[in-house]
Amino acid sequence: MSRPASGARSEAKPSEGHQVGSEAESAEPNEDHQLVAAPRPWNLIAELTYRCPLRCPYCSNPLDHAEIRDGLDTAAWGRVFREAAALGVVHVGLTGGEPSARRDLEAIVRAAAEAGLYPHLVTAGVPLDPSGLAKLAGAGLRSVQLSVQDATAERSDAIAGTACFERKLAIARAARALGLALTLNVVLHRRNLARVAALIELARSLDADRLELANAQYDGWALRNREALLPWREQLDAAEAVVRAEQAHPARPEILWVLPDYFAARPKPCMGGWGRRLLVVAPDGLVLPCHAARGLPGLAFWSAAERELGACWEEAPGMNAFRGEAWMRDPCRTCPERTRDFGGCRCQAFRLTGEAANTDPACALAPRHAVVETARRGAAERPLVYRGGALEADGESAPTVRVP
Amino acid sequence: MTWSREELAARLRRVGSERYHDKHPFNLRMHEGTLAPAEIRCWVRNRYYYQTRIPVKDAAILAKSPEADFRRQWISRIHDHDGRAPGEGGLELWLRLAEAVGLEREDVAGLRGVLPGVRRACDAYVAFVESNDLLASVASSLTELFAGDIMRERIAAFEKHYAWVDAEGLAYFRSRTSQAPRDAAFGLAFVLDRATTREDQERCVAALERKCEILWSLLDAIEAAQRRPRLSPHAVSREDEERPGGLLAVLPERAVRLNPAGREILELCDGERTAEAVAALLAERHREEPRVEDDVHEFLADMTRLGVVELRKEAES
Repeated sequence: MSRPASGARSEAKPSEGHQVGSEAESAEPNEDHQLVAAPRPWNLIAELTYRCPLRCPYCSNPLDHAEIRDGLDTAAWGRVFREAAALGVVHVGLTGGEPSARRDLEAIVRAAAEAGLYPHLVTAGVPLDPSGLAKLAGAGLRSVQLSVQDATAERSDAIAGTACFERKLAIARAARALGLALTLNVVLHRRNLARVAALIELARSLDADRLELANAQYDGWALRNREALLPWREQLDAAEAVVRAEQAHPARPEILWVLPDYFAARPKPCMGGWGRRLLVVAPDGLVLPCHAARGLPGLAFWSAAERELGACWEEAPGMNAFRGEAWMRDPCRTCPERTRDFGGCRCQAFRLTGEAANTDPACALAPRHAVVETARRGAAERPLVYRGGALEADGESAPTVRVP
Repeated sequence: MTWSREELAARLRRVGSERYHDKHPFNLRMHEGTLAPAEIRCWVRNRYYYQTRIPVKDAAILAKSPEADFRRQWISRIHDHDGRAPGEGGLELWLRLAEAVGLEREDVAGLRGVLPGVRRACDAYVAFVESNDLLASVASSLTELFAGDIMRERIAAFEKHYAWVDAEGLAYFRSRTSQAPRDAAFGLAFVLDRATTREDQERCVAALERKCEILWSLLDAIEAAQRRPRLSPHAVSREDEERPGGLLAVLPERAVRLNPAGREILELCDGERTAEAVAALLAERHREEPRVEDDVHEFLADMTRLGVVELRKEAES
């Protein structure tokens, strides 16, 4: 019997559009680090729609999300899933926007399961309800990632811009009762970092398998609200101390802590590398290496509505623009860490330096790192701009609108 | 600021009341009488490895002290465990316990079937003592402060719940009820006398915490070996097209690639067999291979951490 060694893979994936870096424990085979024209994708992020009843001011959907229509019908998604499975995809994250805003979600879940994929729902918990979730479980759903915005109804609803906290809890309990794996996801920022202990308690009381405490990634709406959302250093340190103390105990839930890259010395391995292991299909069918890449100028991506998914993944010029290392500039080009962080996030590089091929300025070695340092100092008390454009009334009391 | 002697003593005792392995679920079950004979045997066989490390650890401590008074005192611990002649001492008494619970003396003395997690924990203790100074090493031995009580409870529990174990076999526990408090009193006085700066005092508390952690992880390993592994209900296993003969275990947050050996192990994990039984079965099947049982336990520990495998307490039926 040879040694039963195993290679663990964990995929980077967006959680409510917010991406989580692949974990340190994912021991990746070395051959993956070498330039391969189009490596095997493992994870499909299926953005079913950009519609969402929530208005979170850090939403990572594009600022012009309202212009992007649902371009793939049930049958088209089924075809995308089958083509993804043929490419080697194992996981499918059904996300958005809010995926349960689609009336055909049950059929979409069934199609994903029938294609042999592992269906994972990334939801805000509304307009889904427990009976709807039961139907999804019957159709083959295996796991649910549920977002909450804070540890109490009042504060969570204030960030979501709509009353939905209690409905979220009902979904969490239903997921447990249905035997689905449950991850609770919280995007962290200045206004909720102080409640990390309460959030851990909430996850524990809901018997979640996993809690993702993911500091906001400053792109999309979060970039627009950066001054109001960026935490203070002391806040972050205090929250991290709480998390580390909890992680020392092997008790559930498993806690994943994602530092905001503005405070890390090195950039995140964004999406596990451009066009490397993860592909996104946007609501209109556009096939992307990440949910935000359509905002980069001059890159041609192809649509799964018009072409076979394999071609969109392997051949689209935009998909190949930052594959491998040939595109890298100094200091990435010769950096020993380039095989680990892939130079960071192309979208952030573009947004903060004007050029997508520059080193992600979140890296302390980046020539333009000063823009991140300046932003960190520029954190200020500002009203939030909700997704969709409404301005927060004043201070922490946000206008609440009814769920449609 | 430096703590008073009373404050330091109280802090050391608090480490015990919070972290000593008398609170470990396996120990609780032992004392409430619900361990199966196989679980008792697993504990006795594995704990023997710890017993063998104690005189090694004490010899290392002995060698750190420049003081004859200290050495004259401390050497009695080695005599207690090794005896003055073959057939005497704590190690011998433990082997009699092994026989009393139905194990073969030669197997236990030959350290057969010691779990890798147990070996790691015990070796970590010796390494701790070797790499720390006299003060921290002595502090790490202060779990003896709590050993007298646990031994008394254990004797009562065995007499009450495990009548199938011959009373003669409990001689080790009886010997420790008097030795442990005597040793602990000396060790405690030494630590209180010598830890005169706040830094040293904190190092002593940390050393005792580390020791409690080691004892705890020893029981973790034993408990895990008696659990019944099976594929997690959240996992889907499927063929790995790229690696024929292997398996892909797909979970909510990750996919784990198993090679054919890993697959063979996983296929025996039915939620009925204990991890120990799975390991024994594979060792039998692959007799020509060394370390099969260790590999199985290490593999199952990894897979449990990754969520591929869950360890059930009870059999399915």
